[in-house]
Amino acid sequence: MMLDWLVPTLISVLLVLAGIGAVRRMNMWRAGQAEKVDMLAGLLAMPKRYLHDLHHVVDRDKYISRTHVATGGGFVLAMVLVVFVHLFGVDSKILAWALLAALVMMFCGALFVYKRRINPPSRLSKGPWMRLPKSLLTFSITFFVLTLPAAGVLPEGFGGWLLTLVLSVLILMSLSEMLFGMTWGGPMKHAFAGALHLAFHRRPERFGGGRSTGLKPVDFGDGVSVKEVLGVAKPTDFKWNQLLGFDACVQCGRCEAVCPAFAAGQPLNPKKLIQDMVVGFAGGTDENYAGSPYPGIDLGHAKGAPNQIITDGLIHPDTLWSCTTCRACVEECPMMIEHVDAIVDMRRFLTLEKGSTPNKGAQVLENIIATDNPNGYAPASRTHWAADQNLPVMKDVKQADVLFWVSDGAFDMRSQRILRAFVKLMKAANVDVAILGDEELDSGDVARRLGDDATFQSLAKRNLATLSTYQFNKIVTTDPHAFHCLKNEYGDFGSDALQNVEVLHHTTFLNRLVKDGLLQLEPFKGGKVTYHDPCYLGRYNGEYEAPRELLASLGIDVAEMERSKFRSRCCGGGGGAPITDIPGERRIADMRMEDVVSTGASMVAVGCQQCTAMLEGVVEPRPVVKDIAEILAGQLIEETH
Amino acid sequence: MSDFSSTARSLNNGVRRDPRNEWIARNRLHPLHDSVMSARQGEVRGPSGLLRKNPHIIGFIGPNGIKRIDRANLSSTELNSKKRTSEAQETLLPLHIVENPDGYIMVVADMVGGRLTRHDKDILGLAHQLATEKAAVAVVLVCFGENKETQFDLAGVDRLIHLAGQEFNGFAPEARLAALEQIETQFYPDYWLFPDSVNGGADLASRLAARLGERPATQAWQVNGTQTICRGASSSVDISRATPRILMLLEECADAIDRTRHQVLPLALDVNVNTKQRLFDQGQIAVDSNAVPLAEAEFILSAGNGIHNWDQFHAAAAALGATEGASRVAVDDGFMPRSRQVGASGTWVTARVYVAVGISGAIQHMQGIGQCDKVVAINTDAGCDMVKRADLAVIADSEEILAELTRLAQQHASLASLEEKSDAA
Amino acid sequence: MQPNVNVISLVSVGRHPQSGRARRAEQDGRAVELGLKLAGKNLTVVHAGNPQEPVLRQYAGMGLSSLTVLEQAQGCDALPALVSFLTENSVNIVLTGVRSENGESSGMLPYLLADQLNWPLVPRVADIVSVSAESAEVLLALPRGQRRSVIVTLPFIASVDNAAQEARQTAFGPGLRADFHVLAMDTVVDEAAHQWKITAAKPRPKRLKVVKAKTAADRMKAATAKPVGSGGKIMKNETPEEKAKAIFDLLLEEKVVR
Repeated sequence: MMLDWLVPTLISVLLVLAGIGAVRRMNMWRAGQAEKVDMLAGLLAMPKRYLHDLHHVVDRDKYISRTHVATGGGFVLAMVLVVFVHLFGVDSKILAWALLAALVMMFCGALFVYKRRINPPSRLSKGPWMRLPKSLLTFSITFFVLTLPAAGVLPEGFGGWLLTLVLSVLILMSLSEMLFGMTWGGPMKHAFAGALHLAFHRRPERFGGGRSTGLKPVDFGDGVSVKEVLGVAKPTDFKWNQLLGFDACVQCGRCEAVCPAFAAGQPLNPKKLIQDMVVGFAGGTDENYAGSPYPGIDLGHAKGAPNQIITDGLIHPDTLWSCTTCRACVEECPMMIEHVDAIVDMRRFLTLEKGSTPNKGAQVLENIIATDNPNGYAPASRTHWAADQNLPVMKDVKQADVLFWVSDGAFDMRSQRILRAFVKLMKAANVDVAILGDEELDSGDVARRLGDDATFQSLAKRNLATLSTYQFNKIVTTDPHAFHCLKNEYGDFGSDALQNVEVLHHTTFLNRLVKDGLLQLEPFKGGKVTYHDPCYLGRYNGEYEAPRELLASLGIDVAEMERSKFRSRCCGGGGGAPITDIPGERRIADMRMEDVVSTGASMVAVGCQQCTAMLEGVVEPRPVVKDIAEILAGQLIEETH
Repeated sequence: MSDFSSTARSLNNGVRRDPRNEWIARNRLHPLHDSVMSARQGEVRGPSGLLRKNPHIIGFIGPNGIKRIDRANLSSTELNSKKRTSEAQETLLPLHIVENPDGYIMVVADMVGGRLTRHDKDILGLAHQLATEKAAVAVVLVCFGENKETQFDLAGVDRLIHLAGQEFNGFAPEARLAALEQIETQFYPDYWLFPDSVNGGADLASRLAARLGERPATQAWQVNGTQTICRGASSSVDISRATPRILMLLEECADAIDRTRHQVLPLALDVNVNTKQRLFDQGQIAVDSNAVPLAEAEFILSAGNGIHNWDQFHAAAAALGATEGASRVAVDDGFMPRSRQVGASGTWVTARVYVAVGISGAIQHMQGIGQCDKVVAINTDAGCDMVKRADLAVIADSEEILAELTRLAQQHASLASLEEKSDAA
Repeated sequence: MQPNVNVISLVSVGRHPQSGRARRAEQDGRAVELGLKLAGKNLTVVHAGNPQEPVLRQYAGMGLSSLTVLEQAQGCDALPALVSFLTENSVNIVLTGVRSENGESSGMLPYLLADQLNWPLVPRVADIVSVSAESAEVLLALPRGQRRSVIVTLPFIASVDNAAQEARQTAFGPGLRADFHVLAMDTVVDEAAHQWKITAAKPRPKRLKVVKAKTAADRMKAATAKPVGSGGKIMKNETPEEKAKAIFDLLLEEKVVR
């Protein structure tokens, strides 16, 4: 019988081709920079990472998670069994029946994939991805028919030469997609690259419920010789496992759906960005990309090569500068790809090597370098806001229970209201608090997100040096950006200044004070209140509950916005976006204010001065914007003596 | 207006009687009696024309019920007080005379637009302070080119060297330097004083100092015969040093002359400018008012949320010759480029006249226009902050006003061009 | 862009107005920017002073492959070193700032250089429009954004005004990699400046509005009375024509409409 040798031959040829493709693909990744990864531990942890962490993200959409379990699980099982049954010819009824079962499962899953593709949402990529459900169905049906004789359902040699021919063609078609396509750039690439990406992920801390959001520092060398390039200029300047991560993308477009810059019509689409990265390290153009483009930029003109500078022809710098670093894409990505890392890496090249930070970026960086604050105010005026606050300064007291990190809000008259409200609350609770005064410097958040890691590191090291001279148990700040830097990014600079120190956002800290009964508050009697989760508090640091508990303690039943907690939409103020100011069709802050208005709230509570500034910048009439500290301070029952 | 009326009154110095007023003044029960009496206080004429004084009518009852006598006539805006001030202005200030001076202090003025600037006048004042330290020193004003100034005598000019030749007009540092060198050899002045200004004073002073090999004092603001205090290191330090012969002075380095008149005698100078010219002035070039950087612009028409017809706004700015500005909202909405944004987060402007159309005035915007002299607001909301800040506020729809302003500007321009033509004819 | 012109930009260490920290000086940065426009990669940038000064890296970060430093100790006169450097090298155009942000800030350096080299000097340049073999057309910056065109013969010195094209952003990486050519120079100590007493700037007294009044009551009133007419005029019920006329009259009065 002809099929006796044809099927194993086809399978083995395609397996070999897939193997060659895999080696070729791996070499593309290996063109990236070296990065130390615990390979064995990663590979061992991979199944758990897939089944637990990745599935957890996919499971936010039940439909697709079940579909994927059936299809993916069925396929993996079926493929293994196909190798045994059809390649090695193991003659076992049990195996054959198992294979049939796997194929049925896969078939059912593939039907749902097919259904999804009948009228797909705009975020999904089309092109080859439209073919995939058909290939999946073909694979399952073909091998089902092929396996029937092995299972003893049909006699051997059933069907004659016509069926044989048809089945051979179908085998070729489906296996090309499933095996050859997997390592040669077809849609199934995601399975191969995705599995390895999970194993060799650059931030293994993210698996198992952990959080890893701090940016990785630029290595400036030993101070004697300067590295050839700072940041990422060419695709090969990425770490190898970052390149691998780009390849894991399934083009599901969940990132696109949540990206505030994309929604605002700015030229950024996180999905396209990752695909462009693939075009970059694999070489070629974006002609075959079948998803939504960057708003305002036509497809087909981007060209890339592994050793070509990315911003010369592959990606327009405006795309990189549109990002607010809100991490919504990273949070949504079922493959746990790190978009923000990649964007900041490329921004580093633009700022540190090309000196082309757009719009006010150059001026802001110059100000930070010369005055340690982004607006170029006199460093000696940093504590002017507290002239009437009677706050102890660390220089005088040397130690305190709580160090209040004021941040650059000290220079801004609107933010000063938040600072004063917070001080009022701390005084009411008799907190032993001190500030750094003029010794405090900008946390470096803006400099870092704008790509100037040299300035960030300089600020971080100087701040750490100052901090290490004083004794305190907690640092509390009203600025989630400074909070993030202190908590997650200052640890990379080998200082023990923050060891055994608890870094807290003021909402967390206030929540403790309220729970400990240190603050006497009267219930809030205003109208409906909603709460806006700041990205750097929520997604970056996982603090969703403390602000809500605080509002609840005032008797406020928060009218949640549709996009809240980990899905909160950015205010548009992060990542230096207001500074680089890339034009779009609308403003992110306006969209967020529409979210607020749609809840019918008359006030939006915020936990971040940047969000306050952005939301208050929306043209009136609009709901009132207030920091939680301000709301609390307004409800404080002050003891009279 | 006011000039006109004051001359009309000055014709009126002869005694004129107003029988009706006199009649009311005699009738204490007349309803207008009080006002007439108070209006004519101090100068009542009897029927014969003799001046009569009513001692009871002097003064008025103050807010606390006590009678007050206003001898300086401050509260009265009547004709007699006006007349008195106009008489006072006519009194001649004493003339400061320097005969046969032993020395000279040269003040080289900027004379922007052919008139002494405030800066020039301050320096003339300083020159006189220095002159009093020595006997018989004359303050000499050196000026070039066009001269429209009529009050040299009141500004403290004892002697005048006016170099009016064609070669000194416009940008002519070489010719001017040659003339100054001539003065140096002919008079050997005690001091050379220049305004440290962008209007050419600092440039000329530096050229002269380099040529004469003198180390000048720059940005000087406190000067006497022995010691000078200068600003240095971008105005962050004061440098005390011995007073050199060449000084570049900051504005308000001394008070201008205001109590004396001066002779303004011309000094003869043998002008003999014969240098090899290496700088050739091509004249000022027409600058598109919209190309002027916002921070430097003199006249800004700024648009905010209240503008709906943008073509009309641009047309109005062009017709008025104004530089365009915008509020943050107008920029965010994409109607104007970011470089046009006025305010704390945009550009801090220094315009003399700032016209805010449809801008309600967020605090950041108000900060940005803090240095503007005259602010005009066109807004529909009479309660907004911009109207409160404005020197002239118009509560109306911007479209109507801009249309009318455009029309006025065009009318004005066509009138001006007609006049030019008739002048030429 | 221009054929065979040797352009030199002289740079100094600036001072940030708020923090007083060393920085790339505003005008010197513009001088480098203008030099890069004229000469591109062939621009020579020269600093007289300490070659270890980190601020020089900020100039280098504008895309300079090298920077020449005439090594001098603090408090030395830069003039002789620069004159000898300029006479030894064939130079067509020297660009400087108008006034340094540190030290005496007299703004005399370009004038002294011009006088010693016997070159013409153009002050406060906004742009250099074109350069030919013998001459160049430059635009002078006048107050309020006005410009004057001047033709100057080569070689010449130009001081660059704040109205010139702003200095490009400095990039950290190239700044670190630039080579410094350090030339040892005979240094002359600035003796005269050592005699000076330098103190932090005292705030200058604001000029009071002196009232020349003849009577005590007049002086009293001037000292105590509120300035009249501080509140602006508000026009509400007039016709649009009247309102526009009022604005236009104000514009005419202020002489902004001519």
